[in-house]
Amino acid sequence: MRQETAQEKAQHAAQETALTEAQQARIDRWLAQYPPDPAGRRSAVIPALHVLQDDNGGTLERHHIAALADYLGMPRAAVFEVATFYSMFHLDTACGRHKVNICTNISCWLNGADGLVAYAEEKLGVRLGETTTDGRITLVREEECLAGCVGAPMMVVDGHYHTHLTRERIDEILDGLD
Amino acid sequence: MRPLSEYLQSFLLVELLRGLRLTGRHFFSRSVTLEFPEERAPKSPRFRGHLALRRYANGEERCIACKLCEVVCPAQAITIESHQRADGTRRTTRYEVDMFKCIYCGFCEESCPVDSIVLTRLDTYTAEVSGERVLNKQQLLSMGDRYESQIAADRAVDAPYR
Amino acid sequence: MSQEKVTIEIDGRTIGARAGEPLIEAADRAGIYIPRFCYHKHLSVVASCRMCLVEVERAPKPLPACATQVADGMKVATRSAGALDAQRGVMEFLLINHPLDCPICDQGGECELQDQALGYGRGVSRFVEGKRAVADEDLGPLVATEMTRCIHCTRCVRFLEEIAGDQELGGMHRGEQLRISTYTGEPLRSELSSNIIDLCPVGALTNKPFRFRARAWELLSFPMVSVHDGVGSHLSVHTYQGRIQRVVPRECSTINETWIADRDRYAIEGLAAPDRLREPLVKRYGEWHTAGWEEALSAAVAGVRRVLEGHGAAGIGALLAPHATLEELYLGGRVVRALGSANVDHRLREGDVSDQEQAPPFPYLGGTIAELEQADAVLLIGSYPRHEQPLIQHRLRKAARAGAQIMALGLRRFAWNFELAEEHAVAPQHLVSELAAVAQALGERKQRKLPQALRGLPGGSVSEPARAMAKRLLAGERAVVLLGNQALSHPQAATLRALAALIGEWSGGRFGVLAAAANSAGGWLAGALPHREVAGRPSAEQGLAADAMVRAQLPCYLLHDVEPEHDLWDPAAADAALRQAEHVVAVSSFASERLREVADVLLPLGAFGETAGTYVNTEGRWQSVRGVAQSYAEARPGWRIWCALAQLLELEGFAYPDIAAVHAEIAGACRDVQPSSRYPAELRSSGATSADGGSSSAPGRASGQGSGVTLALAGAVPIYAGDALVRRSEPLQQSPLAARLEAVVAPETAQQLGISHAETDEATVRVRVQAAAAEALELPLVVSSTIPAGTVWIPAGLAERAQLGPPFGTVTIEAL
Repeated sequence: MRQETAQEKAQHAAQETALTEAQQARIDRWLAQYPPDPAGRRSAVIPALHVLQDDNGGTLERHHIAALADYLGMPRAAVFEVATFYSMFHLDTACGRHKVNICTNISCWLNGADGLVAYAEEKLGVRLGETTTDGRITLVREEECLAGCVGAPMMVVDGHYHTHLTRERIDEILDGLD
Repeated sequence: MRPLSEYLQSFLLVELLRGLRLTGRHFFSRSVTLEFPEERAPKSPRFRGHLALRRYANGEERCIACKLCEVVCPAQAITIESHQRADGTRRTTRYEVDMFKCIYCGFCEESCPVDSIVLTRLDTYTAEVSGERVLNKQQLLSMGDRYESQIAADRAVDAPYR
Repeated sequence: MSQEKVTIEIDGRTIGARAGEPLIEAADRAGIYIPRFCYHKHLSVVASCRMCLVEVERAPKPLPACATQVADGMKVATRSAGALDAQRGVMEFLLINHPLDCPICDQGGECELQDQALGYGRGVSRFVEGKRAVADEDLGPLVATEMTRCIHCTRCVRFLEEIAGDQELGGMHRGEQLRISTYTGEPLRSELSSNIIDLCPVGALTNKPFRFRARAWELLSFPMVSVHDGVGSHLSVHTYQGRIQRVVPRECSTINETWIADRDRYAIEGLAAPDRLREPLVKRYGEWHTAGWEEALSAAVAGVRRVLEGHGAAGIGALLAPHATLEELYLGGRVVRALGSANVDHRLREGDVSDQEQAPPFPYLGGTIAELEQADAVLLIGSYPRHEQPLIQHRLRKAARAGAQIMALGLRRFAWNFELAEEHAVAPQHLVSELAAVAQALGERKQRKLPQALRGLPGGSVSEPARAMAKRLLAGERAVVLLGNQALSHPQAATLRALAALIGEWSGGRFGVLAAAANSAGGWLAGALPHREVAGRPSAEQGLAADAMVRAQLPCYLLHDVEPEHDLWDPAAADAALRQAEHVVAVSSFASERLREVADVLLPLGAFGETAGTYVNTEGRWQSVRGVAQSYAEARPGWRIWCALAQLLELEGFAYPDIAAVHAEIAGACRDVQPSSRYPAELRSSGATSADGGSSSAPGRASGQGSGVTLALAGAVPIYAGDALVRRSEPLQQSPLAARLEAVVAPETAQQLGISHAETDEATVRVRVQAAAAEALELPLVVSSTIPAGTVWIPAGLAERAQLGPPFGTVTIEAL
């Protein structure tokens, strides 16, 4: 019996944090681009997570993921898998106004990305995956290739690419953020 | 002429004197007999005597109830029962060694991943009633507590060869 | 996969294989072992562990044998220098983050990683850096975790997704951070969850109750059969010092494949419950006294003699548990018959057995369990196999995944783990008419008419769901109609059986009954019935069936492993009957408070694993097991107790040398029994069935008059409340599936009760439930749209609800 009620509890929780109609409409637009079957609905999970994250100030909370899983008819664990896999999704903790992703994959690493990460950490006083206390900048967790090898080392700030980084460039870019 | 020389030798107590010479030599040479129990022979640090269970310096028992000593014991002298202690660790509820069965082979010590069960230098001990031959966990641990410095020193000496 | 035969060469041996099958399968069949972690024959192939790398001729790199399909003329080397080197390399990587805490790991000694590190690894690790550690997660009371040991084979994730049907675990994060987790930290809810323990090749997932109890090498393994449902799953029972320590599945492709239900695995935790009966007890002047066997048996016999003299043989009735062994059921039945009575029954949870004369030799599944997965249209009537026969559910789920249309006509909607083609939940008083409507709809399509006896059942027009179900059944080529436990305990079960059998026949498929208990089928063969003796021979005298026996308030009851407050159809009537009886002898493994109140003699019975015996499962398969554990204190096997009672009663023909002799006698008698699932409706008198007149109760409909609302009562025995052993298993009772006694109603009904609509789970509202003249019961109220309007769902088989009587009926509810 408890299982059944646990499910109800889940339904109940989902109702509490149900997707807004606007969110549903945006997710439905993505769904329309995939085949109308369960596998197709699964395909929409990444854009749908972006929809929710954008609406929630750049971070995802567990109840969002539960609600989305129910909406797409996916197991919750599967949506969590996706949300935890990609570094572009920020889970659980609140994030700052700006997200800074410093690439540490092979090309950038060979060009000294590790030192730049250490420098940025020291400068901001936070570790990777943390947010400055004034809520200004979040250093996103260890980042894999962002497809900017030609200008390695590089980083992405709020979706904008900055290449050929040096400590001075980092100072300049980070200090320029409000 | 043999009988005559034999007769002379025995008549002159030659055999006796020869024997006395041996006695005399030992009489004056240094004695090798030890006056046990006041005196003890030196022992190797690898001596395999009475069993003991050791503890870590902080007083925590080493034994983790992996039961490898129990299974390796060729005489099946060790009996272990295990459980989950309140702090979640794996511990024995029962650790018994039947000292009549034990053949002091040292396999248990060899098999122990945490150096808990060891063979000490102690080789003299008695039991007065039959049941005393089985040593329980408390007795084995107190053996370890009592001889810990010696046990640790012996292990340290032997360490380079292991 | 094509059936084309090809020839391949593995390690110089030429073997035959099917084109396109995984290479590792072909090698396994030929007896060539390739090391593996993530591959499992019943799970999908992911090739994530890379342990099964082999060299294939003309392939530039080693290939994973699990994900490489067999092609004609393939030349494979599993032990070449290249293959061994690849395997050694993979093993070194796998061990990089493995803690090597084998001495404290429960998997130590039966660990695939240990075995393969020895066989395929190198002796020394070159990795000197720090190893990662992973925080543990609490997966509930059944599965212990030590996630640092995990090697990410994802067998557990795939099992829960593909077999158990709900992906509760996932591979969270990525790269070095990858961890298997629920992320939310909720306990596992699947009824098959503990199979991930056996699947886990390392010690990351282990048996929680068994934790640190014994090592793999000191356990003795014995074959055993599960006794908690009618499936009869094959088990291996592991004992240490004569006590059962754990249960693991034993492979049987035709019954349980490699899985068992959590119930099969953890019921043994109840074996040493505090109220386990240690020695015979005799009640004198209201006080219990410990007695020796002789004293207790003579007290039992003296009481029986007193009743025989005072009331005659008809005053004696025996209620035998349907999970007792075939031999116990047979001897129990024979003892009662030898005394001159025929009041013996094992159908304790059935309220309507009015069709017993026409019934087949035993309730039969209509085919084998394995055949269920071939079905393409299935109608489940009053059944929730997920909680009743979890491994039947597994077969049905396989069928559903292969495209079968599975339909459920029941008393509420359940949390199915596959897509149902139709689900129709009706109030209990409408179940018969809805089923009749399905039959009617089938009849219309086949141009056949309902038999005289069943005519008039469909109430008016045939409903849309019934029509749809009939259509889908007819569309199927291999249709199956299954009657579940809830239907069997329905007050009009006989009519349901006749209708379901008819539907099975008309749809051109098969009809089957899902047996609830290990010997629900065996009890019929053994003659533990009021109207039939062993092998279905007609009984000279007609006795009373279980429910009638209880209502007749006999002066003497003999109980075999029965807890009246849990196991009987009408526990309230049972309680009253036992209280008024002059003499009650209870042969029982456990002595609950209630049993101690009503019994006069308690004889300790050997429980699961302590006694030899035979079980006949729902497909009619006989399975005999040996007693493997030491008897618990003074407890004795049931067949010996019955023989001893018979001898003290001076009955003839009970001098058996051993249980094999008893078994041989039953087997000899049953040699010619043919299974059948025909319940010919034509033979029945038409008066026995009516649209909404149950034998004992006619549930009314909701009405707002008076202080409360009158509702139809429905309920099923929860998954972990089926028998005495399961009820005493602590881990099962702490699991999320454990029974919660609460009243569940539809939102409409809640409104009638004056409770605002919101579907509440954490039941803050309490209601008073009143059945007939019994004392009212206060229960928490849960509102759920899974319940049909006008019905209140209260789980059956729980002692706390015993005063409500049968699982079905009418109750009045008012909010507090």
